[in-house]
Amino acid sequence: MIHISVYYFGAISLILIGLYAVLVKKNVLKMLIGLSIMETGVNLLLISVGYISGRSAPILSEGVTPGRAVDPIPQALVLTAIVIGVATTAMALSVAIILYEKYNTLNVEEMRRLRG
Amino acid sequence: MVSLLKRSLAIITLLIIGYWVAQAFAGVPFGQDKMLVGKYYLENVVNQTGSVNAVTAVVVNYRGFDTLGEVTVLFIASTGVGALLWRRKKERTARTEGSIVLKTGTRYLFPFILVFGAYIFIHGHLTPGGGFPGGATIATGFLLLYMAFIVYEIPHKSFEVTEGLVGMSYVIVGLIGLAIGGYFLYDWIWQTWHVGTTNIGRLLSGGFIPVIYTIIGLKVGTELSGIIDNMLKEEVRE
Amino acid sequence: MNGQYAALIIALPLISAFFIPVIKAASKKAVMPFLLLVTLLQVVVAGWLFKEVYTSGKPIIVMAGKWQPPIGIDLYIGHFAALFLLIIAVISFFTAYFSMKSIKVEPVDKYAMLFLLLMLGATGMIATGDIFNLFVFMEITAITAYALTAYNKTGEAAEASMKYMILGGIGSSFFLIGIALIYGATGTLNMAQLAQLAGNINPTVAQVGLALLVFGLAVEAELFPLNAWAPDAYQAAPHPVTVMFSAFVVKAGLYAMARILYLMQDVGSWHSVLRLLVIMATLTVVVAEFSALRQNDVKRMIAYSSISQVGMIAFAIALGTQSGIDAGVFHMVNHAVVKALLFIGVGYVGMKLGGTTLEDFEGLGRKMPLTAFAITVGSLSAVGIPLFNIFWSKIRILLAGVAAGYAWGVALILGASVVEAVYYIRLIHRMWFGGSGERVSESLVLGAIMLFLVAVILVIGFYPNYIWGIAQKAGADIFDVGRYISNVPLLEVGA
Repeated sequence: MIHISVYYFGAISLILIGLYAVLVKKNVLKMLIGLSIMETGVNLLLISVGYISGRSAPILSEGVTPGRAVDPIPQALVLTAIVIGVATTAMALSVAIILYEKYNTLNVEEMRRLRG
Repeated sequence: MVSLLKRSLAIITLLIIGYWVAQAFAGVPFGQDKMLVGKYYLENVVNQTGSVNAVTAVVVNYRGFDTLGEVTVLFIASTGVGALLWRRKKERTARTEGSIVLKTGTRYLFPFILVFGAYIFIHGHLTPGGGFPGGATIATGFLLLYMAFIVYEIPHKSFEVTEGLVGMSYVIVGLIGLAIGGYFLYDWIWQTWHVGTTNIGRLLSGGFIPVIYTIIGLKVGTELSGIIDNMLKEEVRE
Repeated sequence: MNGQYAALIIALPLISAFFIPVIKAASKKAVMPFLLLVTLLQVVVAGWLFKEVYTSGKPIIVMAGKWQPPIGIDLYIGHFAALFLLIIAVISFFTAYFSMKSIKVEPVDKYAMLFLLLMLGATGMIATGDIFNLFVFMEITAITAYALTAYNKTGEAAEASMKYMILGGIGSSFFLIGIALIYGATGTLNMAQLAQLAGNINPTVAQVGLALLVFGLAVEAELFPLNAWAPDAYQAAPHPVTVMFSAFVVKAGLYAMARILYLMQDVGSWHSVLRLLVIMATLTVVVAEFSALRQNDVKRMIAYSSISQVGMIAFAIALGTQSGIDAGVFHMVNHAVVKALLFIGVGYVGMKLGGTTLEDFEGLGRKMPLTAFAITVGSLSAVGIPLFNIFWSKIRILLAGVAAGYAWGVALILGASVVEAVYYIRLIHRMWFGGSGERVSESLVLGAIMLFLVAVILVIGFYPNYIWGIAQKAGADIFDVGRYISNVPLLEVGA
């Protein structure tokens, strides 16, 4: 077996669970929730890459010298990625509202049948 | 039967992908010091930007261009929701008025929530947080108002105009940097005017980080409230 | 003028997009003319950049915030970027005029904002020199595209947008995992520094990271099998938006893929990733051509044709040779011009006659002769008939493919081109030799735009060497990584 840390394992499992929901579920809202879970998993993975054992948050006051802080870059990246995830979800939800108004159902197979 | 086949196929594919990705991450050891650019940031952040919070310095100052893009993404989301859910005449369709606890609580808490949100984004260079959580807190205050009172609406026109003006001011801050220092998004407050160099660790420092975070906090607050407003309304059929 | 003013190419559309709500509060009718003005200004700035880069031969490097890379983010405007920023600006200008005439669905001011931001996203993707900045601009492009696809708010548009969103969401998550791997292995996000450190990365990490990055970009670049969203989105989007999608949004994705691939060429498993890409590209071409044959709606048919041409560009890029990249860039330029012409023509027909099925195109030669002429030139060009521009780039792609040892791919692409000829000739036949009808008045300005594009096609068709020379310089920009690294003023960081 390969040796990876439990944090990587947890984040990758979240990504797989989210991907499963997107691929297999038929309800549009469930697919969007799966997408959201997947994005959360990716953010966790990004932060875990930056962790350095035994060090604390990169706020340099009160005894935290540059030699005792974790990597600030992945945290900055995740800040941006979370906002992008929120924007995608907001957009997707409004398209789901339009879909419901036009087809009166949220099931992808029903929509395909109705469109003919 | 078909659905069972599809599910097992999906599970097998996912396990293969997971194993492949996990193998790659076995090559990136967890918890080891592998910083290259990060170390430079940690060593120089206090002198070069005036902020003690390295993450916000990276977000606003060193990689400020990314934050400009991020603000744009949120603006696109708000505009897109407004464009897709546009109706000729809209009104709120909630039918249940909030309970007495919700109404009283909201009435008293709303100003404190706004102040707390403002506190978060003004102190972005000293404590964790910054513009985005601050703005989200402000929007939560407005969401509470929506949930408690069924006739409440934010004033649209002024929120939209505020959104536009505040976005413009971010780009204008960058352009002033271009004019004063010769580079787009140059931190002219810290590097040219040297405001607050004696004040590290206190409020009046950090170059243009508090200015930009105030801009972002207001922007995010108005945008998220606009999205909530668009989603809670339906068409008025005449 | 100071080279840092090149940052205006990003700042101008951004500040204009934020200014539109203020304009709308003042006067609603001023929004569309403002859009036209902004795109015209963008053409001026892009033209200035093009002249600067091509006369001096040196790329313009914009350092945001006066931080040297890799401490800060830099914009690398080399030959390729200067060329394509100009193409994006010019096509946006034409499309802005087309939008002024054809967009009637409310709310128009939000359409104008999304339009400017789509242009900004593609511009940023091409100009940037930092891999996470590429991700941010890719998301700007993608989310704007999701909103614009669903803009008409019909059932089909919403479905197309949802499909696009789900595939796009999966793609961008995979791209982020790739960034996590590459950052974990090297510690930097700057493209030039990544190219320097590429040889020292653990091979498994590099292979998986590169594959994930390419996979994430393949959704935007419309490669098989991740392009299922493309035909629906092209068909359901408003007509000017389809012009933008096929002319430059997909090119930005292809450029990003090419840039990342060639920067990481010192990685151990580079050739296996390239081989996978060649297979995906060939499949894209073949599947798209055969699907186009069965289409009844002309806009959808041309969408499939666009996808197959994009597959050819990807094939050229994935060959891994200098001639391959040069041919690919040449084809990118030609394809942008031809597809812009075709979609403007087809969109205009849809706007005037109310639909874009084959029946609507019967007898178009009598009803709208100028548009029919433009569409005929575009179709003949797309097939690859000599004396039109695409012939030259297709020949070069096929020659480069044979030289690199992929004769089977070249044979498949040639076969697919024959299929392409069949359905285009069928369209031309319907337009000039079928049905009857009376003259419909055609807009003079739109006619002038279409004639301009026709003229460009014919000029390149007769004298390809000027543009071929420019394409070679742009191709060298991507292929010659050593020169790229030496052009970027990297600061020495690290222990």
